[in-house]
Amino acid sequence: MKGVRTALLCQALLCLGYPAAGAAAERLPVGPAELASVLPSSPGVATVHVARFALDRVPVTNGQFLAFVRRNPQWQRGRVPALFADEDYLSHWVGAGALGAAALPDQPVTRVSWFAARAYCADQGGRLPDWQEWELAAAADGQRADARQDPAWRNRILDWYAQPANRQLATVGQGAPDVHGIQDLHGLVWEWVEDFNALIVSGDSRNQGDADKLKFCGAGALSLQDKDNFAILMRIAFLSALEARSTARSLGFRCASPSEAPQAEHANGGQP
Amino acid sequence: MRSLPLAAAALLLAGIAVATTSAAHAADAPPPAHHHDMASMQLLPAAGPLPGTSLYQLDLALEPADAAPFRLATLAGRPLLVTMFYSHCTSVCPLLTSQLQRLVASLAPASRERIDVLMVSFDSRRDTPPELAAFKSAHHIDGPRWHVARGSTSDVRALAAALGIQYRELPDHSFNHSAILTLLDAQGVPRARSEQLAGDDQAFHAAVERLVAGKGG
Repeated sequence: MKGVRTALLCQALLCLGYPAAGAAAERLPVGPAELASVLPSSPGVATVHVARFALDRVPVTNGQFLAFVRRNPQWQRGRVPALFADEDYLSHWVGAGALGAAALPDQPVTRVSWFAARAYCADQGGRLPDWQEWELAAAADGQRADARQDPAWRNRILDWYAQPANRQLATVGQGAPDVHGIQDLHGLVWEWVEDFNALIVSGDSRNQGDADKLKFCGAGALSLQDKDNFAILMRIAFLSALEARSTARSLGFRCASPSEAPQAEHANGGQP
Repeated sequence: MRSLPLAAAALLLAGIAVATTSAAHAADAPPPAHHHDMASMQLLPAAGPLPGTSLYQLDLALEPADAAPFRLATLAGRPLLVTMFYSHCTSVCPLLTSQLQRLVASLAPASRERIDVLMVSFDSRRDTPPELAAFKSAHHIDGPRWHVARGSTSDVRALAAALGIQYRELPDHSFNHSAILTLLDAQGVPRARSEQLAGDDQAFHAAVERLVAGKGG
């Protein structure tokens, strides 16, 4: 558990503006593991190897994303081309460069497109996690690395889905840490993954009524495993219906990187 | 089948309205943002203003079968047919190539000279330029207007995302992917899209003829 805690150094200027939200993103190691994915890599292949990686402890916040768009004005609302984000991009912010009362610095940033999330992570020296990395991390609870077969675990997630989407989002870091130390993978926001457009399931939701099997090359759409696991299948259904420019009020993201990323602590006698 | 109500439920719960406009009816974009030199990854410092929905805002590097590497945006100025594939595909994918060839061959000779074709591989690792050259040769793909190229894994993911193409690599290194053909106008704005692998997509064909016969969109 201890060890690779990759804190990305927050640039001094930005931290001054939002002391809490601008705090360094903390990445915690996960894996390696053999994951029994709900989206198997191939028929008859039960598990997939997920290499060790590091994942942000909490989702990216409004405050952090504001600092990013201030430094990268091409990602500001009103300036980002329609190719990269739809018209609701950051629409709950009071201005292109200000949050306002409806977007607290410590709340997860939402209404961000895949392109924008990806640019943010690249800017932070990381990338978006891929689906299987996210699924591996999200399988954990406070005691187990894989709690997915526990009905109580599933019900907690389904209860969250049942909440109205227009409720006020909590601030990040309030969820119980899982065995990796990671928080808020469930119960706060939906999250982008790098390969959101790899989640090919039969009956793709964007092509209703089109049962043409020639639509897909290769092995064809794969069937889902563990069909009772609605808690996770809902994520796949949601992500596979998105376009890269889509935004949604409850859709945010967090970043990942290889776990071998430079260690930011203990380099100087543990100075924070 | 099963995922349809699931997806609908998920979208409802998340309070999202996914855009359903197809690329064929891509709305005219707002004026493009200014591009700065500091633009990170995706944003290209464009010479002239591009429409907001132009794919030429993707700053992608492509490595073709038999020519020097080029940026995607250098294809601007002419209509373009773009699709994604991988050369080791042995099942239905060759249909996509032959469909493309039939489409181009069916255009009036003058029109044929006014459109480019781009095929980008999903297989960044195995589809090296020699492999791509072999693919072109095997399919009798010839001429300076037909680009068969690969890109980095990250760039390929971004291009597929922009084109609405889904794909994933399988353990045997084959790729499971949707077969989509997109028509871009001279400025890179999607004007039509075909997901029909078998037979002729007459609406798409007509859109190509219209665009090429016009002033280039």
